Amino acid sequence: MEVGLTVALTNVAVDSDGTILLPGRLVADITRSLPDGEVSVAVRPEQGDVELTAGGACFHLRTLPVEDFPRFPELGESPVTLPAAPLAETIDRVARAASRDEVRPILTGVLFQAEGAKLTMVATDSYRLSVKHTELESTLAETIEANVPARALRELARIIAQQGPDEVSLSLPRNQAVFRAGPVVLFSRLIEGQFPSWRQLIPESFEHEVRLPRDELLEVARRIGQLAQRNAPLRFGFAEGQLTIAAETPEVGDAAEAVPAPYSGEPLEIAFNPQFLVEGLESIETDELVIKLSSPLRPGLLEPVGREDFSYLVMPIRLNV
Amino acid sequence: MAAWRAWPRIFAHVDMDAFFVSVELLRRPELRGQPVIVATGTDATARGVVMAASYEARRFGVHSALPLAVAHRRCPRAVLLPRNLELYRRASAQVMEVLRRFSDRIEVAGLDEAYLDLSGSPTPKARARQLKRDVRAATGLICSVGLAPNKLLAKIASDLEKPDGLCLLEPDGMLEAVGDRPATLIPGVGERTAERLAGLGIRTVADLAAAEDPALQRALGPRLGHALRERARGHDERPVVTGRERKSESRETTFQADVTDAATLRGTLDELVDSVCRGLAAGARSGRTVTLKIRLRPFRTHTRSKTIDEPTRDPERVRAIARELLAAFELDAPVRLLGVGVSSLAADAQRLGSAPVQGALAIEA
Repeated sequence: MEVGLTVALTNVAVDSDGTILLPGRLVADITRSLPDGEVSVAVRPEQGDVELTAGGACFHLRTLPVEDFPRFPELGESPVTLPAAPLAETIDRVARAASRDEVRPILTGVLFQAEGAKLTMVATDSYRLSVKHTELESTLAETIEANVPARALRELARIIAQQGPDEVSLSLPRNQAVFRAGPVVLFSRLIEGQFPSWRQLIPESFEHEVRLPRDELLEVARRIGQLAQRNAPLRFGFAEGQLTIAAETPEVGDAAEAVPAPYSGEPLEIAFNPQFLVEGLESIETDELVIKLSSPLRPGLLEPVGREDFSYLVMPIRLNV
Repeated sequence: MAAWRAWPRIFAHVDMDAFFVSVELLRRPELRGQPVIVATGTDATARGVVMAASYEARRFGVHSALPLAVAHRRCPRAVLLPRNLELYRRASAQVMEVLRRFSDRIEVAGLDEAYLDLSGSPTPKARARQLKRDVRAATGLICSVGLAPNKLLAKIASDLEKPDGLCLLEPDGMLEAVGDRPATLIPGVGERTAERLAGLGIRTVADLAAAEDPALQRALGPRLGHALRERARGHDERPVVTGRERKSESRETTFQADVTDAATLRGTLDELVDSVCRGLAAGARSGRTVTLKIRLRPFRTHTRSKTIDEPTRDPERVRAIARELLAAFELDAPVRLLGVGVSSLAADAQRLGSAPVQGALAIEA
């Protein structure tokens, strides 16, 4: 089983216990189309179907054999409790760096590493790497290391947004992650295999560290990025006191904008995939950020200024000019 | 209003009609109207397969991949021409050059086919007609074009009105067009998947389109089953992949008569290695994995590979590895086929020209 979800409905009057299996897509489509008000669900054993009525509408849906439904894992013990809102926000920021390419399944997940009172979430698609540290409210008895599919986490973030729980609990029974958010329990298989040793991918030192206002930089990158179409890169030209962001798409046009930047030294030109760069900038929340660079071929690092809980490493596009 | 106006994207699949044969006929016009077969050899009594057949020859049941001996039985008066891949490559390059005038989003899917993204074109059907005219004017060759909101349907459409066809196909028309064809028509349904589907009673495209999710998922896993059914319903999200990179460079040869002599094998191996290395040099690429392919009588195919640290296309180096693999192979039967390939390719940095390259983190996986 890839992902599983159980939802307890409260506002329900149950006349008799039972279990039925219905085709999911169909039931969801029907439910969405029903008028407001009560829905009644009745099993009709003789016909082997379920009668669903709402307002004047009546549906008879053939049921599927219950034994065909996969077994959900047992809930694990001693769950870790995570504050819900920061978790959802971290997922939004980290999961986008996860790969969507099933060829390397390991990279389609988000690594959860927790030790003591610190949780670290990491994702990379091999072009960029996103790392977020979160302080937990209590100290863990044991360490956690689990690679959770990003798809499942995006689902979890949606559930948190809908349900608005204060906390989410996480437990890790055999090769599964189980998240409980209010009345919803989300199961996901874990991705097997060794997640890349991400720490050694982040250089220890950089030649240049340039502090820039986050909003302005994001705005300029989006503006100029419009002319970086069809895989054309967004070029960052650093010169004394100035950063020029430029883009050019052959047969479409070009664009450039200069912003003041506390840069000194030899001019440096480095190019990035505009989407990777913009997503990195979006993931930073502080007013000011720092770009750390060494050369046009070495990765750049984006970090917030004033807190050390987030890092976004991005590989440049090599220009052959 | 034409249906395509509502399509968010428009793809064209251009498929050359009887490509190899048509290219041959350009220099042998006297053979027009006759059954013509391009094959791996011209001795109808020896081993060899049909690579292409003219429409005249197809009427006799001759098609590509047919053993030459069978083709000869079916149509003894067909003219056999030996294949000339270099000639077809040149013709293909000319065709692709014409296609590039119609879109810069073009995916070359083979010597004789390509996908074009024509999204945004206000008059795609007129563009397709112009494209067919231009290809014919520039090369003397005829093609069929399929227009559709996705690649899958475009490919199916190009086949519907062959030769010299131009056909529009929407998802709704999929089952009417190919519903009764085997499910293997759907990209992603290979032999093994087809077997599993057959276990569910699913044999045709229409069966697959009508299949229930739970059953498919049990047989094929959660994602694949769903994805294949969506394709059978005419839905396909694959984009046009421009500048497709070659994954390997390989050559193989089928012996006219089975070979047991080690010297003959080595000689053939050396020729194959040289040809592979020339191919790599032409594409400015080198590779790290050398693969030897051997088919023994009656029909057992084996491969052996070795990977080295640094990419190479040096014939000496590749030859040494290929010979080592051959020497280590236990030949317990005569050899029908020998092949050499180099994969794990890397492009030469200095030959990349002005194309920018996205760097990657040093992740081992």
